[in-house]
Amino acid sequence: MIIEVEGLAKHYGKVAAVDGVSFSVEESETFGLLGPNGAGKTTLMEILCGLRRLDQGRVTVSGFDLMKDSRKVRSMIGFCPQETLLYDLLSVRENLSFSASLYSLDRRKFEERVEFSSKVLDVGEFLDRRVRQLSGGMKRRANLAASIIHDPPIIILDEPTVGFDPTIKREFWDLIKSLKKYGKTVLLSTHDMHEADEICDRVAIMEKGKIAALDHPHILKKTMGGETSIRIKVKGPHVKKALALLRECKITSSDDEIQVIVDDPWRKMTELSARLNAEGIFAEKIEIVEPSLEDVFVKLSGRKLTEGES
Amino acid sequence: MNSIIGIAVKDVRTFFRERGTIFWTIAFPVMILLLFTAIFGRDIPFSANIGVVDNDGTAVTAAIIAGLNSSSGPFVVKFFTNQTEALTELNATNIRALVKFPTYFTQSLVFRNATVSLVVDETNPEVAELVSNGVRSVLSEYYKHAFNYTDPITVVEEAAVFGQKIGYKENIVPGMLTYPLLFSSMVVSTGAIVFEREKGTLKKIRASPTPPINMLIGKALAALFQTSISIVIMSVLAVILLGPNLNWNIPLLVPVLFFGSMNGIALGLIISCIGRSPQEASNAATTVAIVLQFFTGMYFPIDYLPTYMQQIGRFIPMTYAAQALRDIMIRNATLSDLLLPIGTLAGASVLLLGIGVVLYNRWVQSERD
Repeated sequence: MIIEVEGLAKHYGKVAAVDGVSFSVEESETFGLLGPNGAGKTTLMEILCGLRRLDQGRVTVSGFDLMKDSRKVRSMIGFCPQETLLYDLLSVRENLSFSASLYSLDRRKFEERVEFSSKVLDVGEFLDRRVRQLSGGMKRRANLAASIIHDPPIIILDEPTVGFDPTIKREFWDLIKSLKKYGKTVLLSTHDMHEADEICDRVAIMEKGKIAALDHPHILKKTMGGETSIRIKVKGPHVKKALALLRECKITSSDDEIQVIVDDPWRKMTELSARLNAEGIFAEKIEIVEPSLEDVFVKLSGRKLTEGES
Repeated sequence: MNSIIGIAVKDVRTFFRERGTIFWTIAFPVMILLLFTAIFGRDIPFSANIGVVDNDGTAVTAAIIAGLNSSSGPFVVKFFTNQTEALTELNATNIRALVKFPTYFTQSLVFRNATVSLVVDETNPEVAELVSNGVRSVLSEYYKHAFNYTDPITVVEEAAVFGQKIGYKENIVPGMLTYPLLFSSMVVSTGAIVFEREKGTLKKIRASPTPPINMLIGKALAALFQTSISIVIMSVLAVILLGPNLNWNIPLLVPVLFFGSMNGIALGLIISCIGRSPQEASNAATTVAIVLQFFTGMYFPIDYLPTYMQQIGRFIPMTYAAQALRDIMIRNATLSDLLLPIGTLAGASVLLLGIGVVLYNRWVQSERD
């Protein structure tokens, strides 16, 4: 295990931001901390990066104790916070050079890493442009490049795609996935369930400073996300007819939508479609709905992941 | 509410939420007024040490010396047994003038051809004139009043023996060079940490294995570079525009300017570590720099300060920088003359940077909590 966290707790006054959290992260794993704002994700990450002191518990990184070997641990982590921490008046290369200096990188290693950033993070085209001239997406890539310029084995990303449009978000996901190919361990926080589902090998769902569930996304969904269903969209007048036809099935319905809960959705979908057609009911849309991490979170906390967020 | 009022109200509200900014906004006028009152609110806004060599040693010379030393007068008399000893003190600026009563002075009074010699430190024209006039006035008026003689004592003013007789521009240039040591360096370094903190980039530095001392020394070096630019520009312009007749002894000027700058920079870094917002840090730096300039003798001689303020000035490293610059440029001081000021400045730089590191560490710890 490259990261081991045991009974970690952090309080702000009487409020427990992180409350007895334990987990471990394997080498080359992409591990997600999923939870709403205020769940304790950022505090937990800041503790791992040495930016905050832990009140209780123990953290080891590659066998080094965070409290005893803080500098060693820091040198093994690349931290990329939510905000872009670049100097606007400097070029991307100059920003990278500054970040490299914080980790005492020599010239040759720095050039190698700039080449890596150009190739993998695609910053080559704007390396010599000043940060303030860059688009939001470019800044985020440059920010990530600066965070990992020292080639750390562990990369910690705090809400890496918050505020991105869907296209850039997907590009960034690909980028994070590509880091895994280079053997990097990625620990990221997010409140985007699709993001966690898409890029994380394992996910810890956090709620009120505690880990409510931790496993591979597909296992979490399977064990805690409820059942798979087939969603059928039919025109208003046909809803009643369709409901009557499918009365032996487990059904939930709305004005123009019927959700049929089944065990074997792929086989059942063709069968249901044929039965509806035979009765002259033509579905506008018919699809299989898998349980999501959102469903897991709702089941665990009784509310949606995005509820109550600012 | 229109946008103009809206913006103004927002800024005023922000001001009232920053306790540090409120403190320095109030502290600035209060301190300036207190300083001006202390310095210029006196009947005699000037005091100076003068040396006396009394080779006559009679009751008459004792009475005249008592007149010079009167508590209501501007002078504090220091006695010397010989001229050489007194001139050494004059060179070290511990006294501003030397009054020498010759043997048979009292006897000469009877024949009305008595003379005393006066050696004035001419390297500070303002002080030289004040001292010279003061001594002449006491010798003529006090003597006439005390002994009812009509003829004044002839004061033979000897040429200044140290440095050259200088004009106002020669006097002001070393003071001007103290300006970037105090102001430029402090302004630059005050912004250093507050800026990083405000922008959030300090988080990146803190998350790295970089020790706090490296952070502060790096900031100090950048500030030193910027301060050096100010010093060079100011020196070049002073030469071109004023053409002062000064001794530009670069090997001696460099250590004084270096350590002087480091003092200002370290002070700025301390303020930067304490300041909770750029506004607060900026207000604090302005107040500290302006208050300090009164004690350093940058613009007016420290002899204008009340004695207790002159004593306070001795504990301010920048005073030594200002004096050392004068000593090098006007008095042709040598390295051995400058060991004390350079040593003081170097020690103070290390001490202030050390305080900066402690404060920065303390801030980092509080952020981690």
